[in-house]
Amino acid sequence: MVAGQKKKAISEDMKTKQKFFGAPLRGGAIRGAGTEKKEHEQNLTGSAGAKRVGAPHPRRRQEQEKNDLSADLKFITLKNPLIPASGTFGYGEEFSPFFDLDILGAFVMKGIYKDPRPGNVPPRLHETASGLLNSIGLAGPGAEALKKIIERVAEKTSTPVIVNVCGADDEEYLEIAQVFDAMPEVALLELNISCPNVHAGGKCPAQDEQHTFRLVKLIKQNTTKPLIVKLSPNVSDIVSIALSAEEAGADAISLVNTFLGLAVNLENRKPVFNNIFAGLSGPAIKPLALRLVWEVARQTVVPVIGIGGISTGRDVLEFILAGASAVQTGTINMVEPTASVRILKEIEVLMTQLKIKNLNEIKGELRI
Amino acid sequence: MKEEKCKVSENINIKGKYYSMKIETAYIAKKSRPGNFVMAAVSTASDPLLKRPFGIFRAAPPFIWLYYEVVGKGTELLSQKKKGDFLTLLGPLGNSFPGLENKNILLVAGGRGIAPLFYAAEDYVSRNNLFLIYGAKSAADLNLLDKLEALNMTGTYFYTDDGSAGKKGFVTTDIREIIETQKIDLTISCGPEAMFKSLNGELKGLDVENYASLEAIMGCGFGICYSCAVKSAAGDYKKVCADGPVFRLEDIEW
Repeated sequence: MVAGQKKKAISEDMKTKQKFFGAPLRGGAIRGAGTEKKEHEQNLTGSAGAKRVGAPHPRRRQEQEKNDLSADLKFITLKNPLIPASGTFGYGEEFSPFFDLDILGAFVMKGIYKDPRPGNVPPRLHETASGLLNSIGLAGPGAEALKKIIERVAEKTSTPVIVNVCGADDEEYLEIAQVFDAMPEVALLELNISCPNVHAGGKCPAQDEQHTFRLVKLIKQNTTKPLIVKLSPNVSDIVSIALSAEEAGADAISLVNTFLGLAVNLENRKPVFNNIFAGLSGPAIKPLALRLVWEVARQTVVPVIGIGGISTGRDVLEFILAGASAVQTGTINMVEPTASVRILKEIEVLMTQLKIKNLNEIKGELRI
Repeated sequence: MKEEKCKVSENINIKGKYYSMKIETAYIAKKSRPGNFVMAAVSTASDPLLKRPFGIFRAAPPFIWLYYEVVGKGTELLSQKKKGDFLTLLGPLGNSFPGLENKNILLVAGGRGIAPLFYAAEDYVSRNNLFLIYGAKSAADLNLLDKLEALNMTGTYFYTDDGSAGKKGFVTTDIREIIETQKIDLTISCGPEAMFKSLNGELKGLDVENYASLEAIMGCGFGICYSCAVKSAAGDYKKVCADGPVFRLEDIEW
């Protein structure tokens, strides 16, 4: 598959929209022979910091002195690139005591299955050098309860809500995707393809190109909202998985989920976790994630959302430079609940210092 | 609940691995109730990454006190803080002990579990008949005795595993007799898991209400990471940080 064959067009109207109101947007409706990305690249080639020739965002040009933090994901423009990730931000409302959720670009609900899940037998957490291993087991209240939570949370904020869709098999994935596709309060769906699959000996769809393709296609054919597919780093060739997801109709790729790791207890000579392996996250994984984001972003046409140890404004800009259109913050939200406020400030300061007027200027502009 | 940059007013080594830290914190000190805890950022770097939970030992606005034992890297770093150093706290967190009047209350502390119970004792002592059973491994782990004395509780009972201070034995050694003779209405306990296990066994069948303040390794401290789960007697998981840390003793599976 050649990435360049699937360039997407986007109407001027969608591009300038600051907020997505959850209107049904069939993938096909915004696909075509557009060459926006190419034009954009030509405008900026080798000229970071130079005056822009073209002006793809005429409305924003008027706000000259202000840094433009907006993040263009093609199917939605977020007010900024900061999206707290699934599983590290509860259901959003837990963070209301700390800051106004309206400051965020978007936020992702904790991953959801159809039925309530108790989660894994403790221990569920083990701290490592600049990171942590977790084995929570996607504990959650089930889809019906999440619907009520989303109705409640959406009343408090206009920030786009993303639902992280889980499933023990393809049927459950589809059912969950459809349930939340039907909710006007939900802006986007994120498909968590790292769930152990009951029909594949516990292997997750993310570990198999064909399964990823089949599942993404199934969801895209039966839902209307833009679909982000979240990749696992625990594969030998993440680019081919990303391209499978893209070919099957994914509107964006988010990466990476946690890296599988092992913690052992020297005293009793046993693994710390009952499931033996657990997911590593936090600043420790940032360089690993950054590499994978760069590799995927240079091959895909659809926007990439970078995830992995992002804790500072500088980290955010580094991921954008590596090709991400937006980012998700994870572990830092547990460690420092007000991190989003700080990170947004840091982005603004850095943009001023480095004379970056808008994030598109540096997106994918890593000089090799 | 707020993330607050605070100032260390004093950090005193009480004895061996045990420290008492006085922290200036306008918001947390004012809002905290006995039983609440704070998450303390022991490092400003990314290692160790997680904040550490500590039951509040005392509060008198604008100060709170922590009483802690150095058990690992996090508490080691905390013990190195000096007067004037900044310390970011998240709090107050969790639920609190029940409000009580005119009751015969028995506090049961194991080791560093004395910290939140001291805060409760200060609150309860004037309006209730207050009793304390306090046990630890050895004399080196049994602290704050002068401060506890100053509270003038109705009765105090001290134990060490090795008999190096107080009576040789455990907090459960005489507990049934104390409950009976002092006509105890309820117990409030805090200590290690093994203590709760034997306590739960000893108290079974007695006509007393039992509250327990649990200790757990935590990720966030405010209910979003689901790391500090404990299994309830009903079979589901409870979050120590957000559903607790204070539970009915019999509501937890021991």
